[in-house]
Amino acid sequence: MKNVTGDLKKDTETLKKLLPAEDILTFEFVSDRGLKFTVVFADPITDKELLGEQVVRALSHFDGKPTAAEVGKHITSPEMKTEKSFEKLAAEVLAGNPVLLWEGMDEAVIAGTKKVFTRAISEPSTDVAVKGPREGFIEDVKTNTSLIRRRLKTGELKIEMLEVGRRSKTFIAVCYLEGTAVKKTVEDIKKKIREIDIDVVPDSSYITHFLASRPYSLVKQIGTTEKPDIFCAKLAEGRVGLIVDGSPIALTAPYMLVEDFQSSEDYFVPPYRATFTRLLRLFALIVAIYLPAFYVAGQLFKLQLFPVKLLLTIAGSIRDIPFSPSLEMLLVLLVLEVLNEASIRMPKYVGMALSVVGALVLGETAVSAGFVSTPAIIIIAFSGIGLYAVPNLIEQTSVLRLAMLLIAGSVGTYGIILLTAFTLLYLVTTENFGTPLFSPFSPLVGRDLRDSLFKYNLGSLPTRPKTLKSPNKRRLG
Amino acid sequence: MKKISSRQIYFFLACVAPVGKILFLPALLAKDAKNDLLFPILAQILVQTLAVFLVLLLSKRGMSFYELLENTFGRIAAKILIAIYGLFLLFAALLPLLEQKLFVQSVFYDTLPSLIAFAPFFIFSAYVCAKPLSSFGRTWDLLAPLAIVGFVGIMLLSAGSADYSALAPAGAAGGSGFLRSTADATSWFFDAALLLTFMGKYEYKKGMAWKGALSYLAGGAAILFFYATFYGIFAEIAPNQLFAFTQTSKYFSGITVLGRIDYVFIFALALVMAFYTVLPLQGGIDCAMEAFGTHKYLRTILSVLINAGFVALVVTLDYQFNDVVQVIAKTLFWIFPIFFLLVPALSFLLGRKRHETA
Amino acid sequence: MKLRKFIKTIPLKLYFLLTIVILYAFFSNDFGLVDIQKTAIILAAAIDKAESGFSLTTQIAVPKGSDRTTGGTSSVEIDAEGETVSDCLSLIYAKTGWVPKLVFCNLILIGEEAAKEDVMHSLNFFLRNEYMPDSCLMAVCEGKAGDMLSSQSAIDDASSLAINKLFSDAAVKSGKVMPNTLREFAISYFGVSESGYLPFVRASSQESNQSAQQTAGSGSGGAKSGSQEEEKIYSAEETAIFRGGKMVGLLPREQTFAFSLLKGNVFAGTFNVKEGDEAVTLTVLKNDGGVSLECKPVPKAKFSLDLLVRLCCRGSSGAIDGVTVDTVPEESLQSAQTIVTGYVNDLWNTCREKGCDLFQLKRSLYRSSLKKYAEWKDNFLSSTQVQIKAVVKTKK
Repeated sequence: MKNVTGDLKKDTETLKKLLPAEDILTFEFVSDRGLKFTVVFADPITDKELLGEQVVRALSHFDGKPTAAEVGKHITSPEMKTEKSFEKLAAEVLAGNPVLLWEGMDEAVIAGTKKVFTRAISEPSTDVAVKGPREGFIEDVKTNTSLIRRRLKTGELKIEMLEVGRRSKTFIAVCYLEGTAVKKTVEDIKKKIREIDIDVVPDSSYITHFLASRPYSLVKQIGTTEKPDIFCAKLAEGRVGLIVDGSPIALTAPYMLVEDFQSSEDYFVPPYRATFTRLLRLFALIVAIYLPAFYVAGQLFKLQLFPVKLLLTIAGSIRDIPFSPSLEMLLVLLVLEVLNEASIRMPKYVGMALSVVGALVLGETAVSAGFVSTPAIIIIAFSGIGLYAVPNLIEQTSVLRLAMLLIAGSVGTYGIILLTAFTLLYLVTTENFGTPLFSPFSPLVGRDLRDSLFKYNLGSLPTRPKTLKSPNKRRLG
Repeated sequence: MKKISSRQIYFFLACVAPVGKILFLPALLAKDAKNDLLFPILAQILVQTLAVFLVLLLSKRGMSFYELLENTFGRIAAKILIAIYGLFLLFAALLPLLEQKLFVQSVFYDTLPSLIAFAPFFIFSAYVCAKPLSSFGRTWDLLAPLAIVGFVGIMLLSAGSADYSALAPAGAAGGSGFLRSTADATSWFFDAALLLTFMGKYEYKKGMAWKGALSYLAGGAAILFFYATFYGIFAEIAPNQLFAFTQTSKYFSGITVLGRIDYVFIFALALVMAFYTVLPLQGGIDCAMEAFGTHKYLRTILSVLINAGFVALVVTLDYQFNDVVQVIAKTLFWIFPIFFLLVPALSFLLGRKRHETA
Repeated sequence: MKLRKFIKTIPLKLYFLLTIVILYAFFSNDFGLVDIQKTAIILAAAIDKAESGFSLTTQIAVPKGSDRTTGGTSSVEIDAEGETVSDCLSLIYAKTGWVPKLVFCNLILIGEEAAKEDVMHSLNFFLRNEYMPDSCLMAVCEGKAGDMLSSQSAIDDASSLAINKLFSDAAVKSGKVMPNTLREFAISYFGVSESGYLPFVRASSQESNQSAQQTAGSGSGGAKSGSQEEEKIYSAEETAIFRGGKMVGLLPREQTFAFSLLKGNVFAGTFNVKEGDEAVTLTVLKNDGGVSLECKPVPKAKFSLDLLVRLCCRGSSGAIDGVTVDTVPEESLQSAQTIVTGYVNDLWNTCREKGCDLFQLKRSLYRSSLKKYAEWKDNFLSSTQVQIKAVVKTKK
């Protein structure tokens, strides 16, 4: 590939040829002593105010030797580097960093004056804490790494920037605590990221696909969080974190299923309360997955699952329903999923109207018109609420709920048991970066149970989770 | 290759293995041994504990079962023997499978469903059998607490209804009753034979033989307690109660108000039982793999073929459960001790330590 | 290469096939499925003797529609005659098109005539049916069981629910009723004692409010219109005793009470004693009762009762005398002791006379000593001596 020649006109043309887009602009100026400069920059993503202040104004009185070192001394931007390759220069321009060329020099200077569009740091809507920090990650990787650095003021915190995406050139910050994270895991993750061959990485979820040991799995294999406090806590336990530029959702690995039953708030409330809440989440999730299935299986195959009075109530309410119990439940479930999907995507004011339509018009009218029965709506409503007790697993659990319902309606109660057996088997045999997904329950790690579904006092957790095999075992004292 | 940990072996022996003995066997024993049904069970548990102890002691040599046979009898003989052993495990799997089928049809469905209701079990079984035994140690970590919760729940709901004096007088069935019922129970006790196929998939740890035997005894104690409660509840009508652990808890007074809450525990045990029922099949396939090589797809093909065979067998024997019990449990029961006791004992006596190769 | 690719995609194809099968099964619901809408939920069954064998009446719950505004259970009674109980059920199926399901059957009523033959002939079906809960209550009833089950209850929507109420825990604690379940009855039947008991239900007429109003309105002399059914009140204060599965006698209410006391069931139950000419009702606060067997040199049944009682009320209206209102005079305690001993003695005599080993003493003998059992089993009841020890105390 070509390098800068020192012929300003020719070099500018070469660079413009590489970047033919109309929003790539050139700007020429001459210093007091007559040295000609050309700045090539991407108009929408370059901070022109900074460019004028730190580069143009600084060089307008330039009277030194026209070498890169001398020019660099005059530029007041804290981020600055030199480069010869046109290909790399073009990449910098596209990243928002203007390239400065001048007559007679076979090297260009890149000034770090890109314009950073960021929204304000706010509380993530999917991970709200009543007690505890409220900061959330945003889309800018630098802001996000600064949030982490602020919490972990140690030289052991390593943030390595890798670039992924042939076209998007997305930065991925690999964060870990040296001496705490397992070296092999860090290397494995870096290797997997380097091996990613994709043109564009719009979001961190793309990366999870490449890091998972079973990419087609329904089960989540990489942890996600939007909160820097959780992210740092996970790094401190020995995990490796990934922040993808353009995504507010950070990734952590290795991931264990139990993580999603824990909330940052659990660490700020008394342990008995945290234990209760975690068990409640598990209970809610189990009920959410199994309730519609057992309701259908009970009606179709095993009446004894209901007490007789409840059975008679159900039998009465479904007497005039035109669908079979399984079809009725599937219908209500699908309506719920549609409402859910629509209300998330719709503008807020329409969303409110939609929930009124969904709850009142659809529900009430469907019951009175005899399309569906009241118990079916109650079951699905309860299941729908239960699923949100563990918001990070909604994608997985809603599919599992549907699968359970289908198997309950076709094979019955035993089908539910067998599907559960399948699921358990699948979960216990899944592992990522050497860490079993179902740990600390399977394989059983007694010590790690203290911060699993149960939560011991902080004083009883002197060591990092054994499952993560951190070389730095103690965290207390 | 992943190894099964010693803890997982103990969990299997103490929590998973006992579940297979509390379904059909209590009623069968109540018929022959009547109130003396604890004695044949105790005898079986003691013999099996001895066998478990022997097998675990054998595993100290650090060899798989096939390597042990190869070391003792040579390559060809070892291949033949392990194939026979695999066939035995498949033979042993038949009774629990049919038992499981009847249990499913009766307990999970209100009216007798078509055979197809049990068919999904074989899909599960084929999936499980397609994976090597060694990857299942972790399931025992999960199944053990599940079995404990299920068992304790059922016992809590049942114990209050039991009149344990129904177990008196001891010896009412006489010596012949004891012998006959002990023989009947043999077909349900072959855990040491299963353990033999695990050899080489776990590492022997110091004191493992004792701990394993004690674990089995602990599971045995739970079985005995269950049998005592079972007979205490049903006494003279116990032979009618085919699926024992699903029957004892329904007399709990809260059930009239809350409905069959005991199903939570019954389903938990059913889940454990589904895994346990597959084990002999899986063991059989493991043996076949040792005998016929390790081609990539062989295990999957064998798994599909064997399970398909069992589907056919279950369909054929749909109404012949009593005949199968008659043939396996009452006539061919002597085959079992050959494999779970004699084989490990002979291997123990004749087998040599691993030949160290450079 | 192609083969390898084919083999590699087999699991995916299998999953796809499996999904189709599941979806087919889900949407067709066609595996001989008997769902809730095709089911007759049997709440109770009544068995009577019939010419051809048995007559079975089932009370089937009829779910109320979704527009229902009040609670309660509607039911309908369907009967059929057949040589066996199973035969009868098949006929009921044929008549209604509903598959009869016994999983919620909580009462079996046996007609008086049917109870005089070995009831196990009919109960065997229920006992061996794996879908029938053997925790179901049982009772013998006056007249035909089918008629009683079909009668209109004055206190509940369905007669079976009203009868079930007679056997509630509270009723048992009153000592007025001795309920029994299919399992317990079967155990005692198949046990060495071969004896058992069941509560005996009687129905008495109660003029319904509606008919009373109509009668008053029409001004006629109380005759009811043909369509109006008499409402019934049920009671189960007597107990039928069985030997070899046949009903051999009936324990009157006093003996039923004594039986309850010996079982230690009674708490807050009442009984009357005489204090001079005055009737006094005592409440049992604590009831320790038991029956034991001694075998030296001959079998001896020991009945023991230890009751703690309190004065409940007097027959005559006396002045309220403050805190002493519930103290029982010594005279009444003596009287209570005599009465209770008399009840137990009568109970034992009835049982011995009818050959019913109600207290399962033979079973106790069997469980304690096989040798003694062999010695005494043939003439056990006639040779058993009895010792009754009743102590009635009050709170000081």
